[in-house]
Amino acid sequence: MTPIRTIAVGFDGSSDAQAAARYALELADQLGADLVFVHAAGLLEHIDEPQVVLDLEETVWVLTSEAGIDPGRARWHVHDGDPCSVLLRAGDPPISADLIVVGSRGQGNHVGLPLGSTSHELAEHTTIPILIVPKGKTSNR
Amino acid sequence: MLIVSGPVGGSEHHRAGHPERPTRIRAVMAGIDELHLGTDLETVHGEPADRQQLTRVHSASYLDELTAFCKAGGGDIDPDTYATEDSWLTARSAAGAGLAAIDALRQHHDGVAFVAARPPGHHALRDRAMGFCLLNTIAVAAAALVSEGERVLIVDWDVHHGNGTQEIFWDDPNVLYVSTHQWPLFPGSGTAGEIGGPHARGHIVNVPLPPGATGDVVRRAIDEVAFPVIDNFAPTWVLVSAGFDAHRADPMADLALSNGDFADLARTVAGFAPRPGRLALFLEGGYDLVALQASVTATLGALLGAPYEAEDTTAGGIGSEMVSQAKAERADALGRTDLVMPPGGLL
Repeated sequence: MTPIRTIAVGFDGSSDAQAAARYALELADQLGADLVFVHAAGLLEHIDEPQVVLDLEETVWVLTSEAGIDPGRARWHVHDGDPCSVLLRAGDPPISADLIVVGSRGQGNHVGLPLGSTSHELAEHTTIPILIVPKGKTSNR
Repeated sequence: MLIVSGPVGGSEHHRAGHPERPTRIRAVMAGIDELHLGTDLETVHGEPADRQQLTRVHSASYLDELTAFCKAGGGDIDPDTYATEDSWLTARSAAGAGLAAIDALRQHHDGVAFVAARPPGHHALRDRAMGFCLLNTIAVAAAALVSEGERVLIVDWDVHHGNGTQEIFWDDPNVLYVSTHQWPLFPGSGTAGEIGGPHARGHIVNVPLPPGATGDVVRRAIDEVAFPVIDNFAPTWVLVSAGFDAHRADPMADLALSNGDFADLARTVAGFAPRPGRLALFLEGGYDLVALQASVTATLGALLGAPYEAEDTTAGGIGSEMVSQAKAERADALGRTDLVMPPGGLL
């Protein structure tokens, strides 16, 4: 099995994404892995992108601190695109993730995704392992 | 003669505070009124596209899901894209407006058509809504033409890459898709190395441009990268994804075009049509209402030879080197023997 050195977390600020972040933070701590928070910037974010990213970074800082992990261990990767396409590229440089962690649902209702959400489409197309954190799950213990 | 198909979406499919809003249609219609075309203007109103017409480009399961979602009252589809109870009918009407525009051009054997309809369509994938788009209006029209044996050129000058249109026609040798767009920018696709599937290698032409690129750079992209491919393809119809968000005033992106640049582009693209009556423009983006109105006036005025006022064309912005890079990257991709897959695993 490939050692998990880098974990990519899909993060849009939703409650499900926060649950996934908490889980990934604990997992990274246990494995000694690096953590990269991946955010896909949509069309609307172009108008007020700096503030959106600042708000997300603040949320992640709080989550990281609450987990007792040095916030400096978490990197950010913001990329234009839809969440699925951006996360599917997480296995490639510059992220080179060994594992993707996402919440079961992010923002939106994902009309057109037969199984209901970005996480399911990711699961169908990903070339690296993916971990989908169920709604309400906050710890891997 | 100008054939205007629509308007569609002048009051329907509305979300308070969202930039993709009904007022855009009012701005477009005001831009057409500015031309004072009199009897040279004909307005047509098509029927909403039916299931057979839509399933040429969208999966039946997606259409069913979107229908049910709207029927249940709609909501947020993703952080960018919304639907309301009337969105299903509005989107079908927009697609129908595109088909009606084609029919009208066929009847007249002359003129230019403009599809004044929203929501826009070029981000809509075969089985997914995204980027403000529910149904891919221009793809529905192109697929109808292809089903009748036509060879269709789609020129997409919207500031965003038309990932949906690219995906739908990725492996279709009867469609040539040409896009100039800001990069990096949503939706993240549109590199020059994306050239089409095994049955249509080279039928996707992407020229990504950096923020700040001016009209001369876009013209160079069309002339140097796209024109040789278009000339070889010899389209029988030309459709344009006419987004006006590459205008320097638009809040959604950072290209630096003027409305005079759109007029210039329109004249160039019209030259790709084999004869009069084979050119239709479809509204895509454009979110600054003043720029949108003036750009529509300039674009259609240039195509019709009608008097209009326009800003000067722009030049001197950055991006010329990216056109050269696109040529090289495209040549490299065409020279590879392995199959090039579309980005993001969205197929």
